[in-house]
Amino acid sequence: MPEPKTHTPPAPLVALVGWLLPGFGYWLLGQRARALTICITVLSLFTLGCLIGGVRIVEAPSGGATFISSIAEKPWFVPQALAGPITIAAAFASHELQQNSQLKFITPHARIAEIPTLYTAVAGMLNLLAIIDASYRAGQREEAK
Amino acid sequence: MNLLAYAYTHPFIQPLPAWDAWPWLAVPLCLAISIVYKSVKCQSMKQVPHEAAGIFLWIIFGMAAAAAFLAGVVKIIERFS
Repeated sequence: MPEPKTHTPPAPLVALVGWLLPGFGYWLLGQRARALTICITVLSLFTLGCLIGGVRIVEAPSGGATFISSIAEKPWFVPQALAGPITIAAAFASHELQQNSQLKFITPHARIAEIPTLYTAVAGMLNLLAIIDASYRAGQREEAK
Repeated sequence: MNLLAYAYTHPFIQPLPAWDAWPWLAVPLCLAISIVYKSVKCQSMKQVPHEAAGIFLWIIFGMAAAAAFLAGVVKIIERFS
């Protein structure tokens, strides 16, 4: 009896979906409990970081002379960006606050800036872990076919 | 800024007044790391709560032990310097 055909999405698509919505690379592989657990955890961690330090902890590079210099200006944005589009929304809100004449002076300092920055960066790094694992599993399935 | 007059009225804009409770902020971070790590690592999701609780406790106790050790080193250096 022939085996039922199972559709396995390509690994790059799994990685892209995993970035767009944290953990949802697993959803494409049919692992919904894993997808939801990772999604809720990563987004909660990122949101909690923004709640503790304010959204100003997410700052996109303003654009230096070279790509390297602009990354060196705001290095924490790199791991933060791995958490998905929520980082872009937070960076946009942060930029808007910087332009606001009344609210631009509200900035976190010392530990209340460092710890939530770590929260958001760790959220992004955990999502990278999930993206790599989901893509690897998708690749393994393709090879097994 | 006068901290006594700090009114927390704008969540996500103002920093949370958690200046005195900052060590406790490690707890949710360690919990999230434990859950995601074990979600990726375990074959079955049924294993995750038990495995994540175990690694969470290891991280917390490890950090507490490291903090106690470093505090002891600082005290010793203070005494002899």
